[in-house]
Amino acid sequence: MMRHWSIGGVIGAAVLAVLVLVAIAAPWLAPGDPLDIVGRPLLPPFTDPRFPLGTDQLGRNVFAGLVHGTRVSLLVGLAAAAAAIGVGILVGTVAGFLGGWTDEGLMRVTEAFQTIPTFLLALAMVSALGASTVNVVLAIAISSWPATARLVRAEILSLKSRDYVDAARLAGMSRLGIAFREVLPGAVQPVLALIGITVGVAILVESSLAFLGLSDPNQVSWGGMVANGRAVLRTAPYLVAIPGAAVAVAVLSVSLVGDAMGRRLLVSRER
Amino acid sequence: MATEFSLSRRHLLLSGTAITAATLLGRQRLAGAQPARDGGTLIAAADTEPRNLNPAIVASNGVFYVASKVIEPLAEMDYETGLRPLLAIDWQGSDDGLTFTVQLRPNVTWHDGTPFTSADVAFSAMEVWKPLQNLGRVVFRNLESVDTPDDGTAVFNFSEPTPPQLIENAMPALTSVIPKHLYEGTDIAENPHNQDLVGTGPFRFGEHRPGEFYRLHRNEDYWAETLPYLDEIVFRVFPDRGAIAAGLETGDIQVSAFSAVPLVELERMAAIDGVSVIPGGYEGITYQITLEINHRRPELADPRVRQAIRQALDPSFIVDTVFLGYATAATGPVPQTATDFYTDDVQMYETDTDAAEALLDEAGYPRGDDGNRFSLRLRPAPWFAQTRATGDYVRQALRGIGIDVEIVSADPAGHINAVYTEHDFDLAVGSPVYRNDPAISTTILFQGGLPAGVPFANQYGYDNPQMNEIISSASETIDTAERVGLYNDFQRLASEDLPIINLVEFTFITVARDDVQNIANNPRWATSSWADTWISD
Repeated sequence: MMRHWSIGGVIGAAVLAVLVLVAIAAPWLAPGDPLDIVGRPLLPPFTDPRFPLGTDQLGRNVFAGLVHGTRVSLLVGLAAAAAAIGVGILVGTVAGFLGGWTDEGLMRVTEAFQTIPTFLLALAMVSALGASTVNVVLAIAISSWPATARLVRAEILSLKSRDYVDAARLAGMSRLGIAFREVLPGAVQPVLALIGITVGVAILVESSLAFLGLSDPNQVSWGGMVANGRAVLRTAPYLVAIPGAAVAVAVLSVSLVGDAMGRRLLVSRER
Repeated sequence: MATEFSLSRRHLLLSGTAITAATLLGRQRLAGAQPARDGGTLIAAADTEPRNLNPAIVASNGVFYVASKVIEPLAEMDYETGLRPLLAIDWQGSDDGLTFTVQLRPNVTWHDGTPFTSADVAFSAMEVWKPLQNLGRVVFRNLESVDTPDDGTAVFNFSEPTPPQLIENAMPALTSVIPKHLYEGTDIAENPHNQDLVGTGPFRFGEHRPGEFYRLHRNEDYWAETLPYLDEIVFRVFPDRGAIAAGLETGDIQVSAFSAVPLVELERMAAIDGVSVIPGGYEGITYQITLEINHRRPELADPRVRQAIRQALDPSFIVDTVFLGYATAATGPVPQTATDFYTDDVQMYETDTDAAEALLDEAGYPRGDDGNRFSLRLRPAPWFAQTRATGDYVRQALRGIGIDVEIVSADPAGHINAVYTEHDFDLAVGSPVYRNDPAISTTILFQGGLPAGVPFANQYGYDNPQMNEIISSASETIDTAERVGLYNDFQRLASEDLPIINLVEFTFITVARDDVQNIANNPRWATSSWADTWISD
């Protein structure tokens, strides 16, 4: 199985595993509230062993922010992607399997969502609902489910006229039973390839929202750290570079893993 | 008179920032060495574009910054004389406080050529300042009529005694005069001239390209014949503050006001050849950072709890870390730059967390099993980096005495609505500006019984009869010394009762290229006319 994993996929998986470990171990790696003012402001990185990555304008530990930010980014990214994919699968399956007016209606709704750029929709929702982690997850999920829905629907359409589906129907299974128990498992595989993109986009949108000040102010977030450091870009560029690099690394690792999964899938399908 | 000694005082206060003081002295020498020169375009950085640019309606610094060059008030603040005549050349209040007579400058014309007369002043006062203006609604509350016995005289008639000192102090910010012939009979709030300004000032309004710039042209017919010096002022709009600092370095921008350059960049900017960091010129618009308190929360209605919160906070930390030294710890609602009203004979507080915890125990709020006494929701005003940073500091400091604080953020409109209309907050970090007289800008934060929805006012649920009594008797006291005494009582009661907590006070910083002359030469410089600003070779 490993031979279908590209080098990129392996690296991505390794980095992602490290990020997950950091997120889990955050309270031990950097105890206390990462938003606490703990030292002299604007200490550059690698000058004080207590603050390996320096401090920001208020004297907050950048390392602690980075570590705890991993939690928020991964949590929001995964939760939002899971919710988006869940909704997408549900809508796609129902639309594809039931067809007719249901399909028409659901697909028009999907298209309506697709016409609005993901980020703008998330921005509007968080502005209206208020900046909290739950609302950010909700906003990202609601703005990024249509891709999954369309993909699942297409798969269902191609699978639902297969012989084994007819057999299940003759055996007397209910329509929804057939849809979710017989057809869906076959249709879900390509969705795995979408996970990487969806999670990556979710992490990016979360960071962008935080950059614009639309994240829970009681939690540290990479995007928020970049926004905070922007004012002092000339005097303390590390305040932007460090969390910025973290966003890039996280998104890259997630999409490398997603890409690798997609390729593997392609290979197994071709066989 | 209001700010006679503020320049020297301000420099003393800021003596910690030696670099800036040194560069300022250097500039003044340079300016004294050459005669002023005509011509040139001054490029200034602006970071907001107010929808309504009419200073007679919206008396705010964002509006004044651009509009004060086009539309003039009756008088301007002045370091030496207190007030410098602009459209008014003389004024006199009656002994009973019921009339205030203003002699107007003759031979002044509007930018469209129409003569300026007392009818314009009467119209502005009765139709705009009193009913529409955010600050004028309070100060001109009892203005009954304005008589115009001749074109050069306007007599303000008040239904209740109104202190002449208050009217004088209100002249720089509250008395922008707009042309009657362009506003009469129209919907004043929606008049197109609220964007396309017509005034009597040294500069005519040229054009506004949203997102890009405002352009003002020299008024050839300005009443002060040798002024202005500049041909043009262009306010370039920069939403990104980093770009403003870069623009000053390269010379693309010559002036940035209101601390548009982040404080943390000032030391680096001061070291750049050709760029100066200038701390003065804002004494007339001193800001404070305050902790606003919702007295509807039973815990916070207890003065012991408010005192405990005050003792848990260290204003000098905010001065040093949040403001990098460009601020001063506040002692009460009147800032130290207001030398005529300020008193230090008030209740002072030390930072003492043990005493704070003892007070909270005594008030009946012991620490629970999780170490918390109670939880509060804090809304930091989103408009300054410093208000947000102060919110983070307050959260941490209060957790130290067992008060759990959750920060709630919102955009400016949402913040104003939540705090001043919905009262949906426990604590808020605010940034009130002191405008030359406690009755203009400050007592409204303490006066009880205001309707919900009046922004930047007492929406805190605080209603103390003793406080209300001081405020109302001061508002009718004609004698200046007696009036100042009442405002000293006001400061004392505010410091004992702590309805809001005044943490630090600050004025802004200007950063400019060295060839721009006559910067910061009055206490409202950034919001004054810039008629005498010039560019040297």
